[in-house]
Amino acid sequence: MTKFACAREKEVEELVGCGQWPLAAAAELRAHVEGCRACSDLAVVAQAFQAAHSSATAEPTLPSAGALWWRAQLRRRNAAIERIGRPLLGAQIFALATVLLMAVGGLAWQVRRGFGLLAWIEALPRALHFDALWPTSLGGFEGNFWYVVPVLATLALVGGVVVYFASEKH
Amino acid sequence: MRWESAIPQVLAGDAPQAACEPMDNDAFAGFYERSARPLWAYLARVSGDLALADDLMQESFVRFLCAAHPEDGEVAARRYLFKIATNLLRDHWRKRRTTSIEEVPEERFATASDAGQSDSQMMLGPVLAQLRPRDRQLLWLAYAEGYSHQEIAEVTGLMSASIRLLLFRARRKAARLLRPTLEREGAR
Repeated sequence: MTKFACAREKEVEELVGCGQWPLAAAAELRAHVEGCRACSDLAVVAQAFQAAHSSATAEPTLPSAGALWWRAQLRRRNAAIERIGRPLLGAQIFALATVLLMAVGGLAWQVRRGFGLLAWIEALPRALHFDALWPTSLGGFEGNFWYVVPVLATLALVGGVVVYFASEKH
Repeated sequence: MRWESAIPQVLAGDAPQAACEPMDNDAFAGFYERSARPLWAYLARVSGDLALADDLMQESFVRFLCAAHPEDGEVAARRYLFKIATNLLRDHWRKRRTTSIEEVPEERFATASDAGQSDSQMMLGPVLAQLRPRDRQLLWLAYAEGYSHQEIAEVTGLMSASIRLLLFRARRKAARLLRPTLEREGAR
């Protein structure tokens, strides 16, 4: 016998395991268990846990195996879709970052050149013949820069809203 | 061609190394029939909470199906299932702002124990309520499920070498708590 175990524990455990303790045990083994603390503890505890196991396994009302099977299938499918979608999301983020970088770079370039961009925007209505779209009752529209900015801003806003709803729907 | 085969390794994250294809519906139904009740009993008696045992048992099976299970047969698959359940139980306890299973106060489980009420007639309920959750795990796996020390180490994630000592201490404490009840029962 070691500090934490007795050499005969295995015999006791086997007998308890097949429900034959103490009736089928040899008198010599029973006498040993009475005098051995480790074996005695083992017999008491193992019997109690096996009785509890028998009663507990009869208790639950189990859901059907099919329901769990389909839940697992659904989760597997969602995981697969998420995994497939991950590179697409990465590409979208990369594209957005590239566009933003280019915009910032272009702006910086224009700043260094003395804001030629503003003059270009100012000339844009005339170049695109916006005045042809403008009602004639609004006389005096000479393709002024300050008329164009709200139009562009509105277009950008509406475009943003459309993209947002499109992505939400998707 | 099934979509699972078109996208390999999708769910391999939690799977053991020697793993095979997921079970088909019929194979799972048989495995579930044989394993669900012992798993529920383990979760109910260790957690002391029947509703939690219901939830964790279902989640264990779903995760088991999502992962590739061991190919060493049903015994290994069942051990793997118990390991998933043990991890879920540990996660549940951690969510309750505790860092490890050892630090969970026993009173928390003793007061919330619905399972203890049904076991009280069989004397083990009150004893389980006084044991630490880890001791309950070890004792249940060893004496209700009949797992070896090596298997218990695999399921609980504890060091194999420490199982013998931990089990010895838990058993001694459980026996000390059980004996007065047994004597009372014997006196009747």
